Amino acid sequence: MPTDQTHSACMTTNAHNEQSDSAPAAVERAGVSQSPGSFDRRSLLIATGVAVAGVLGLPLIKRAFASRQPVFIARNQRYDGPLQKTIEDGLLATGLTPQQFRGKRVLLKPNLVEPTRNSPQMTTNPVVVLAAAEVFRNWGAEVTVGEGPGHVRDTEMALVEGGMQGVLDDGRLTFADLNYEQVAWTKNRGRASRLVGFYFPRSVCEADFIVSMPKLKTHHWVGMTASMKNLYGTIPGVVYGWPKNVLHHAGIPETVYDINASLPRSLAIVDGIMCMEGDGPIMGSPKPMGLILIGPNCTAVDATAARIMGLRPENISYLALAANQLGPINDSRIEQCGEHWQDLVKPFRMIDAPHLRGLSIDPGVQVS
Amino acid sequence: MQLLETPWMNSTLDRLACAPWGYHANEPSAAEPTALAALALLGAGRTAEAQSPLQWLAAAQTSNGNIAPFAELTQSAWPTAQAAFAAAVASHLGGKPQLNLPLAQQWLLTAAGMAVENSPEFGHDGRLIGWPWVIGTHSWQEPTAWSVLALKSLRLGNHPRTREGVRLLVDRLLSTGGCNYGNTVVLGQTLRPHVEPTGIALLALAGEKIDDPRIELSLQYLLENLSAETTPLSLSYGLLGLTAHHRQPTASATWLEMAYRRTIQRDASPLTLALLALASQGEECPLIKHTRPA
Repeated sequence: MPTDQTHSACMTTNAHNEQSDSAPAAVERAGVSQSPGSFDRRSLLIATGVAVAGVLGLPLIKRAFASRQPVFIARNQRYDGPLQKTIEDGLLATGLTPQQFRGKRVLLKPNLVEPTRNSPQMTTNPVVVLAAAEVFRNWGAEVTVGEGPGHVRDTEMALVEGGMQGVLDDGRLTFADLNYEQVAWTKNRGRASRLVGFYFPRSVCEADFIVSMPKLKTHHWVGMTASMKNLYGTIPGVVYGWPKNVLHHAGIPETVYDINASLPRSLAIVDGIMCMEGDGPIMGSPKPMGLILIGPNCTAVDATAARIMGLRPENISYLALAANQLGPINDSRIEQCGEHWQDLVKPFRMIDAPHLRGLSIDPGVQVS
Repeated sequence: MQLLETPWMNSTLDRLACAPWGYHANEPSAAEPTALAALALLGAGRTAEAQSPLQWLAAAQTSNGNIAPFAELTQSAWPTAQAAFAAAVASHLGGKPQLNLPLAQQWLLTAAGMAVENSPEFGHDGRLIGWPWVIGTHSWQEPTAWSVLALKSLRLGNHPRTREGVRLLVDRLLSTGGCNYGNTVVLGQTLRPHVEPTGIALLALAGEKIDDPRIELSLQYLLENLSAETTPLSLSYGLLGLTAHHRQPTASATWLEMAYRRTIQRDASPLTLALLALASQGEECPLIKHTRPA
């Protein structure tokens, strides 16, 4: 179904039809008090919005677009190359420091939307995740990999088929199944959609930093998917379903914006080595680019990625919503570190659909 | 394959007899794994031990009759079908259903996915009404399959809602066989099948007189894609789907035991253990035995 359509029918559940800003008290009880290893104080703060306001609240949002945001690009990258050094260099180049992460909980969020061995361009390559994990662990962080695949209930299948399980085992990495964890409710701090709040899984609530680690792909409804859209996977399927249809009904661009606005602090490390073009995010073709993109601001990173893909960031609906709210998309407000994006542009083919026309700088780049 | 009585099965059932029944080991109980634990115990004849998970489900039932994934989380109620199924089986076996079965049945018959107008952008019939994950959204494959199974267990296989649910499940089969979460073709592209949803769809469609080549293609898809390496959850549903159509592979018992050992090594998820137990019960599994047409 055309899942980016906002349908006229109202949500009839309490969660999606509330008129107040208060979390359902029962949900707070369910999310917090039931768990034997119950949510820590930070989760309670996030569930009540305090930590979100402190970490990503208005003061930070204002800072996000009051200054230029750095985006690091590395070219000629390979999955069998020195990715750990690339990622560490990139994080440092964008002003992030080991001290910021020491003793902090870092959640690495790859894209494992559905399992397949035959389409490695669909999911984040596990070696990129392992390299990032090593960097943050070396910096003294407590690292967890977490994902809630949107199209399959069998998360283990997604891990195995995507090659992630072996990397988790070999790297002794903890995995958080975001689809099935206990949840806590937090207010929707974006309010672009009609959703009053979101349920987030425990590992998301407890994270100090969420590192969005997407695969760079086209998207047949919204044009492109990178670090912002990837955070759909922080939403628990056990509450929202497979697919997470509540979000689609509320509008994909709006909910991408809202989720990004409501999460704890996020940053981006994009697997742009082997990308996907054409009918992304599932059925597209491989597009080798050899890139890693890194930045502390997902909006700025995705705007830069869009330009490299030959897309106009201002025409990507969720980037347009995020512009000057969550971060800059104007090139003059993005500080390019490492390579310059202008030297790396290779237009991604897009499917020829009315809602995607006008996204590409070169409209001739289409597949039917 | 008939009911297995093996050390691993007995160990699994012993574990399922005790709370908590969470998605992962040592996590608080959730409706889905609790309902499946009850079903696994009932299918193995351990009716008395099934009372504990059934009581948990009864306590989680709201005044509307529905049951949410986590206690008191009232916004999505898709596990109501699984809980109703477990309670119905308990009732058929002469035990106590514990929860208010008429109320759960009423909720199931009332709950409905939102229809959408058909469009060239997607391949299925959006007007067919099944069951959603969350009320107010579209009908999807798995909640519809579970609701069809539940209504069949409640002897409502001929109810119009059940019939429409069956039509929806057939409509959502891929032309190449199998199914995914519930889309078939999007923007002209046929999507990929997956084992777990294919298994549960075939389970719900067992016993139906459906003249559609996609049923056989779906069975073939499962036969070609199940192996000793298949992850436990997908393996369980895949085998249940095949068994319901009398097509279980001869290696099923071996695969299930291997999957059990992997599960125990990894996290001993009660959900996975319950599904492995159910799949090991063969045609005696309540999901098959109690959904046959009268």
